[in-house]
Amino acid sequence: MKAPMVGIIAFVAALFVANLVLFTVNEVEQVVVTQFGEPVRVIREPGLYFKMPDPIQKTTRFERWLLDYDSTPEPIYTRDKKILMLDNYARWRIIDPLIFMRALRTKEQGLARLDDIIYSEVRKELGQHTLSEIVSENREALMHLVTERSDEAARSYGIEVVDVRIKRADLPPENESAVFNRMRAERAREAKTYRSEGEEQALTIRAETDLSASQIRAEAEEEAQRIRGAGDAEALQIYAEAYTGATAFYEFSRTLEAYEKALGEKTHIVLPADGDFFRLLKGK
Amino acid sequence: MSQQFEFPKRSGTPPINFTPRTVYSIIGVLIVLWGLSGVYTVEPDEQAVVLRFGKVHSIVDPGLHYHLPSPMEVPLVRSVTQVYRDEIGFRTVDPGPPARYSKRAKESLMLTGDENIIDVEMVVQYRVTNVEKTLFSAEGLGVFERGSFGLVHDASEAALRQVIGRHTIDEALTEGKLEIQIEIKDKLQEIFDIYDCGLAVETVQLQTVSAPEQVDAAFKDVASAKEDRERLVNEARGYQNEVIPQARGEAQRILRAADAYQVERVRSAQGDADRFKQVYTEYRKAPKVTETRLYLETMERILPQMEKYIVENDGRGGLINVLNLGGKEGAK
Repeated sequence: MKAPMVGIIAFVAALFVANLVLFTVNEVEQVVVTQFGEPVRVIREPGLYFKMPDPIQKTTRFERWLLDYDSTPEPIYTRDKKILMLDNYARWRIIDPLIFMRALRTKEQGLARLDDIIYSEVRKELGQHTLSEIVSENREALMHLVTERSDEAARSYGIEVVDVRIKRADLPPENESAVFNRMRAERAREAKTYRSEGEEQALTIRAETDLSASQIRAEAEEEAQRIRGAGDAEALQIYAEAYTGATAFYEFSRTLEAYEKALGEKTHIVLPADGDFFRLLKGK
Repeated sequence: MSQQFEFPKRSGTPPINFTPRTVYSIIGVLIVLWGLSGVYTVEPDEQAVVLRFGKVHSIVDPGLHYHLPSPMEVPLVRSVTQVYRDEIGFRTVDPGPPARYSKRAKESLMLTGDENIIDVEMVVQYRVTNVEKTLFSAEGLGVFERGSFGLVHDASEAALRQVIGRHTIDEALTEGKLEIQIEIKDKLQEIFDIYDCGLAVETVQLQTVSAPEQVDAAFKDVASAKEDRERLVNEARGYQNEVIPQARGEAQRILRAADAYQVERVRSAQGDADRFKQVYTEYRKAPKVTETRLYLETMERILPQMEKYIVENDGRGGLINVLNLGGKEGAK
């Protein structure tokens, strides 16, 4: 009955001691070991480590992985006096836990300091550029510059700034409505252009159509006159051929024919009594 | 039931006999149980990262496995073959069917390169290529944490806006869409690589790209204006298709009428000529008699209708000598 109790007590005691002198560092951590407040060791590799028991040596843990920083959207003034609501984020890491611990102690304070640094760098850099440069042309290069400058400034706190990036760059609501008005006006103009173009093309087509139709008809008329002329000419030729050599008879018979047609009911005629027609009447 | 239970002579449980054997066996069982707690399975879509005292010891593929019991070793089992999905500008409220979505205007409205505002919704699909890096490279990545929006979401949004900022609204709305998708994908991969977070972008899909609802009507009117243009042109073409054949038909009518005139004229001339020739042939046989006959026949036909006045031709005549031969209206 004695032996097991001793065993258990020994086991518990061993755990207690182990807990005092052993500590783990995980993959995303780094640890500063201090002896009576004085840093004696910096551990940046994960694993199981020894230290002197608590009152003598203490551990302070910092994260080793890439850390998050997200600013609240702030208005910035561009060089062309426009306002952009800028929402940027950054990724940073504690590169020297010793310096970081001395300068800032906690992650929260680190974030506060980063806020100061990044905000001022962003404002300084973007203030020298126009809105369209920031939004479209060289956002990449500008933010690269901001990252570099922020990194330089943050190094003295044991911080590396890996990336400062614009998440959103929007116009403030007041300016938005102006943009919407401009967009509407632009589209209205575009719509009008399309409709006018349609009318123009339609009118052109109709005019060309009318022209072609008139041309077709006129050409037909022209040709028709030629055909009629040919008919007339041929008819004349036929008449001339038929009457040649019979001129006297033609004159005679045609004259009679003409009388018949020309002299109608209403005609008054004065006939000499001794004319041919009355020769027998007068008994000559 | 005559048999009676034989109760123990002394009531109560027998005292535990704390012999060293019992204690050791209890401790032994506990140790075995503790040891067995290290058995775990990794599903086919998963990998496990085994940490030994916080340090990555091994990466384990699917199957039944054993790790040293906690706190010595801890396995982190994560799905890695799965394609993860992030939504920008909207959220799937209910995957359905029918799927329901809710809009996130703050995310979806953005500035274009020509300082217009456009409404874009995007889906990003990505895979874990290195589970160790994904777990340990960055805080708040938002991959394995369900429903949270971390770095992946921020980076996607940043990439989307940066690329849209380089294009005009018309490019984004129409022909530039594919190009923009590719640019976003490349940009996002570039950002992932900066963070070295073991993620690969599979696809970037722009779901809807449209004008913001505030100006939507104006944009729709442009579309209908384009249609109006087509309609006007089509109507004009219709007119053309109607009028030109009509004109051609009319031209044919004019030409055929002229042809008819020609034929008529020639035929009638020919007829006249033939008739004349026949008469002339007969006339030549007895010219004098025929001439007289023709003359008299004609006179017979025409004189009855006329008002005739017959006068002497000796110079003493005058109106007094005029006689009315017609007899219709009496003497004049």
